[in-house]
Amino acid sequence: MRAFRIDGRAHAPRALTSPRRVAGPLAVLAITVVAAGCGSTSASTTKRAAGSATPASANLLGAAYDTTTSAAVTLNGAGANSIEPFFETVFYQYNQKNPNTTVNYSPAGSSVGVTDIQQGTVAFGDSEIPMTASQLAAATGGTILQIPVDLGGVAISYNVPGLTKSIDLDGPTLAGIFDGSITNWDDPAIAGLNPGITLPNLAIKAVHRADSSGPGYDLDQYLIDTAPAWVTAIGTSTPSRTWPQASVGIGEQLNTGVATYISQTSGSIGFVEYGYALQNGFVNAAIKNSAGSYVAPTEKSIAAAGAQATSLSATDFNVVNEAGAGTYPIANFSWTLVYQKQSDSSTGIALGKLFDWVVTSGQQDAASLGYAPLPSNVVSLAQSTIRELEGSAGTPLFAS
Amino acid sequence: MIYEPGPMGPDAVSGLVGPGRVSGVRGALRRRRSRLGDHAYSALRWAGAGLFGAVALGLLVGVGSDSSAALQHSGIGFIWSGTWNPAAGQYGAGILVVDTLLTTAVAMVLMVPIGLGTAIFLSELAPRWLSGPLSTLIGLLAAVPSIVVGLWGLLVLTPIFANQVEPFLASVPALGWLFRGEAYGPSILLASVVLAVMTLPTMVSLSRTAFGGVPVADREAALALGATRWQVVRRAVFPAARAGVSAAVTLAVGRALGESIAVAMVIGNRPAIPESLTTPGATLGSAIVNQFAEASPGLGTSSVIALGAVLLLLTVAVNAGGQALLRSGSGAPAHTAGALR
Repeated sequence: MRAFRIDGRAHAPRALTSPRRVAGPLAVLAITVVAAGCGSTSASTTKRAAGSATPASANLLGAAYDTTTSAAVTLNGAGANSIEPFFETVFYQYNQKNPNTTVNYSPAGSSVGVTDIQQGTVAFGDSEIPMTASQLAAATGGTILQIPVDLGGVAISYNVPGLTKSIDLDGPTLAGIFDGSITNWDDPAIAGLNPGITLPNLAIKAVHRADSSGPGYDLDQYLIDTAPAWVTAIGTSTPSRTWPQASVGIGEQLNTGVATYISQTSGSIGFVEYGYALQNGFVNAAIKNSAGSYVAPTEKSIAAAGAQATSLSATDFNVVNEAGAGTYPIANFSWTLVYQKQSDSSTGIALGKLFDWVVTSGQQDAASLGYAPLPSNVVSLAQSTIRELEGSAGTPLFAS
Repeated sequence: MIYEPGPMGPDAVSGLVGPGRVSGVRGALRRRRSRLGDHAYSALRWAGAGLFGAVALGLLVGVGSDSSAALQHSGIGFIWSGTWNPAAGQYGAGILVVDTLLTTAVAMVLMVPIGLGTAIFLSELAPRWLSGPLSTLIGLLAAVPSIVVGLWGLLVLTPIFANQVEPFLASVPALGWLFRGEAYGPSILLASVVLAVMTLPTMVSLSRTAFGGVPVADREAALALGATRWQVVRRAVFPAARAGVSAAVTLAVGRALGESIAVAMVIGNRPAIPESLTTPGATLGSAIVNQFAEASPGLGTSSVIALGAVLLLLTVAVNAGGQALLRSGSGAPAHTAGALR
């Protein structure tokens, strides 16, 4: 059986060796050749479809059509490591329902997702943070569509012997832990927030991401919003994907590296995508939200953060420190990146149907994996974005 | 191999004896064919040398041009400026250079004595039934990819270092200052141990080959003069194999300097001045691994490539320095070293 395959390569050797830089132009060349070869056929097909009274059923979105593609297509994607547990499951299930579409996803990190889609070496990218205007301008294949595909949270996980329930932490205390001014678990700052809990006399080993990351960006945003001392220490109030306090504690690669370190080191504390914390059975801190209550990450508290995103867009994507008593303050949407103009229309149709399924039926698996289902307004945004996909001749691939 | 040195076959005989024996058309054909082979061989040699030169030149030009933006921004001070903090747009390779040299030096201090000892044991002392299988095993170890060694360091060694090794070293009287600081696990020391493990098999098999290349007559002569087993190794075998051993060390140093993935997994990735050997650090290679994907176009990418250029320069400098040191302090007879090189 040919099932969905995860590309388990570590991102670094891939990024370092020249084949990738060579692959860019080569892939562009290949795409151009393919486009030249079949451009006329696909254009005439579209014309025929537009001319007839009923559009071809292959080009409809929605639950009734979302898994039916006729041509066998392999879609290669790369990007966020945080979404990998979710993608792994939904891509596998999609392939079970529609064996014609095979998806390979390389969870090498959001920034790899951005650069790979810019160079056109993948069919889709994924990033925890939408692409900036300058990143979009650097894309080689024209307009990029950004589709919100999941809603996740960043857990503050720790491994302290005897501490098996959530402790309460606020922004300034977290900032102190990550800037090195709080070095012991029984520090008065932590004890003051947690009366009645016996904290051990144990050194804090703070672990952060060594590579640039979505979770790092979200936590940086939360600390900038809530801890003035953090802004002073890092000297900026613009969040960064590269962890700004790299010379405190230790850095590990990807969520998996941070999770491995937390699970095997007593006294450690770090941040990982909630899906990874759930997989590893970590104890997570309850974080003070903007309403002043301490909330631990759960499907419900992350969904509460997503519900606040009533005007979500790729330029207004921040769901950190949102309002609501039950809201988990460090949440984010993950964004899939595709080119609007698909030179190969069967690839474009397969992409549209896949992600239509991911943002609708696929969401029912989100909760068990540590993500919250997308709010309905975000599903609408995702679907209307998918409808903007075009064939090589500039005609829409999907009927509206 | 162009000539098959087999004892049989008319071609070999005619090739060796020359055209005098074979006359007429057949002989002429043979001669032309063999000259054609010579030409092909010569062309192949030049092509090989040219290709190698082109690749090296291409690498230099590519790295140089891609890193020019970073060097224009920070000047030559990029090499020793101390702050590497891409989040704040501060790019300097100084601390990374220090940590790279430190991890390599510690790795070599740990590895070279063990590697040499093992090679001497295998080539001079071990019984044949042991040295054969052991050499094969070491050859296999040399083929283990660095990421596997890195994973082993991350999953197996890190907790042992955090909970046992580092606290123990810090408590050793008189040496504690070398190992002070919080026991995180990932550290310069752990990275050095991983590098030592990684470079050991190459060191052993190359040195063993060098020792094996010393003529038996040299050993017999030393024994005849009344040398003990140790004296034979010390006075006869080692000096003659010196060039080969130094080549082995050079290779090991090169690999340790440039190793990226495995080091990034176990060093803790902290670009700060190391307090001791057990504090986390960051090398040029590990910083490249962690930052390249960031690729904020322009200065960020250029600075990471500039790290590669610094690494290239560092490797060349360390190798040249090592060669110079070896030549100046060399007690080995020139002809032996030359013969083995």
